[in-house]
Amino acid sequence: MAEPIITFQHVYKRYDDTVALGDIDFELEQGKFYTLLGPSGCGKTTILRILAGFTEASEGKVTFKGQQINRVPANQRQINTVFQDYALFPHLNVFDNVAFGLTLKRTPKKDIKRRVLEALKSVRLAGYEDREISELSGGQQQRVAIARAIVNEPQVLLLDEPLSALDAKLRTAMQVELRQLQRRLGITFLFVTHDQGEALAMSDEIFVMSDGKILQQGSPVDIYDEPINHFVADFIGESNIVKGRMVADYQVQFVGKQFECSDAGIPAHEPIEVVLRPEDLVLTDVAKGKLTVVVDTQVFRGNLYEILSHDADGNQWLIHAVHKAKVGQEVGIYFEPEDIHVMRFGESEEEFDARLEQYEGDD
Amino acid sequence: MKRFRWQNIYLALVFLVLYIPIFYLIFYSFSQGHNMNHFSGFTWAHYQELFQDQRMIEIVLDTLLVALLSSLLATIIGLLGALVIHRVKKPMWKNTLLSLNNILMVSPDVIIGASFLIFFTFLGFKLGFGSVLLSHIAFSIPIVVLMVLPKLNEMNTSLVDAARDLGATQPQVFSRVVLPYIAPGIFAGFFMAFTYSLDDFAVTFFVTGNGFETLAVEIYARARQGISLEINALSALMFLFSLVLVAGYYVLNQYNSSKKGRKRRMEANHNR
Ligand SMILES: Nc1ncnc2c1ncn2[C@@H]1O[C@H](COP(=O)(O)OP(=O)(O)O)[C@@H](O)[C@H]1O
Ligand SMILES: [Mg+2]
Repeated sequence: MAEPIITFQHVYKRYDDTVALGDIDFELEQGKFYTLLGPSGCGKTTILRILAGFTEASEGKVTFKGQQINRVPANQRQINTVFQDYALFPHLNVFDNVAFGLTLKRTPKKDIKRRVLEALKSVRLAGYEDREISELSGGQQQRVAIARAIVNEPQVLLLDEPLSALDAKLRTAMQVELRQLQRRLGITFLFVTHDQGEALAMSDEIFVMSDGKILQQGSPVDIYDEPINHFVADFIGESNIVKGRMVADYQVQFVGKQFECSDAGIPAHEPIEVVLRPEDLVLTDVAKGKLTVVVDTQVFRGNLYEILSHDADGNQWLIHAVHKAKVGQEVGIYFEPEDIHVMRFGESEEEFDARLEQYEGDD
Repeated sequence: MKRFRWQNIYLALVFLVLYIPIFYLIFYSFSQGHNMNHFSGFTWAHYQELFQDQRMIEIVLDTLLVALLSSLLATIIGLLGALVIHRVKKPMWKNTLLSLNNILMVSPDVIIGASFLIFFTFLGFKLGFGSVLLSHIAFSIPIVVLMVLPKLNEMNTSLVDAARDLGATQPQVFSRVVLPYIAPGIFAGFFMAFTYSLDDFAVTFFVTGNGFETLAVEIYARARQGISLEINALSALMFLFSLVLVAGYYVLNQYNSSKKGRKRRMEANHNR
């Protein structure tokens, strides 16, 4: 594995009476798209601020290319930031905003001009250089903020919820553009969002955070398919989570029935939680179904029907179905053993990974 | 429709009441007589008299010098003060500092003047240009602080972070981001301080010595000796000067706020 470009080693950040970050530990590799995902107030911005140098970690080590940078001032780091509120300089026009960093470095005028125009072109704002900031739409301001950062050719680009102020359509378009931009530049992006869809769509790696801690790290597929706990499962997409009990390896019991599953390495009789994604549940006849439920509500979402139902024990089941059902009708739900994902209470990420490795080796 | 008319009449009345005395004064500055009882023919005589009045011209120049110097120095000191107050994080300290500043703003000139007089005599400071300048600086500082602070508070702190992020050192952050941002507040503070100093009477009256006079004090002294229409001429000129100041301030503001729009339009024309 290549040497990581950035590492956080047991980083803590405390304010007077709050712990914003508790024992943050991660590595970023060169040229990948990383996302910090978590609800508001979980410490995402704090991580970016420590990395950018606006604030210092209370404890722990931050390295950049193997060098500790805890005390390197922000203006001497090869890291640039796209701020949540864009933070464009209102007294400068688009060109001067983008040129700000280069001017400080005393880059020759001709180079500045070439590089600024290039950066503006790469965010599709060619021809806007003489505009004032107040004359730009939110989406355009956002691109200027990106151009202003990337024109300095940073090794790492930090983006703090840059798309949160945009409308849904523009946001989707910008997700694609940002991803393309990152591939083209080949630099590391550390992107912050509280929107799980955005994180899943854009990232190579996601860090799911809660309460100043990283709960789980992994590719979008890993995190979606194998959430480590209730919080992650719930936060990453919609899910049906029910309590159950391990019977034996590859056998799990929930809603009073026993099912074949693909999880192992958990002691028998241990209480667990089971996740079933709504899109993995298939509506079928009561006779063919593994579960029997009654349809409560049904909402048409364009590409699918969102069906809310309940079983005899009162558990709610959300189903994403291709075909309609009838409200009040009794239907069967069918799913494959691998659609069942078992989560243990209080399992750490290391333990989880170790267990996965062990029993996947058995297969 | 009807309400609209009433509003206009009300406004007209108020302005009339406010401006009639001034225009009355100016009107008689062109009168040949020696009092303001009746107008007895047009003349520039009072203006000629004024321009030959060596003492008056010196006083005008002194007044302008004090106003310019005091407002400049007060702007610099007040700006630094505002920056310090802005940096204070503890709410209690911040409020204390702000209150101290505001008390100076609202306390009567007479009290400020009297206390300066006591202060200067206690220190054995010679009354005159120096004491007037110092006291003008002192009462102008709170004004500047009050004009600059809102601008600082309004400025998003992420602008400073962004500048640091792009490689600016602390002084560069100040000169390239903070200063341009709060410049309108600084200009406004300077203008206010300048006008306050120009027309201050009470404080100056207390702290000025024998050899030094400002316009306000001189006019007061002459008015007490009996009306001379030279004062009217002077008032007319000062009124004109204030008009120019106000117009200048207005144009400056217009320029600042419309620079963007105008530039854009010029660009559009250019491209066509
Ligand atoms: N300057 C500060 N002083 C005190 N507490 C802070 C400060 N900055 C952030 N916090 C606290 O740290 C926690 C994490 O904040 P933040 O990193 O901004 O969260 P996020 O970006 O994920 O919404 C929050 O509880 C917040 O209240
Ligand atoms: Mg945040």
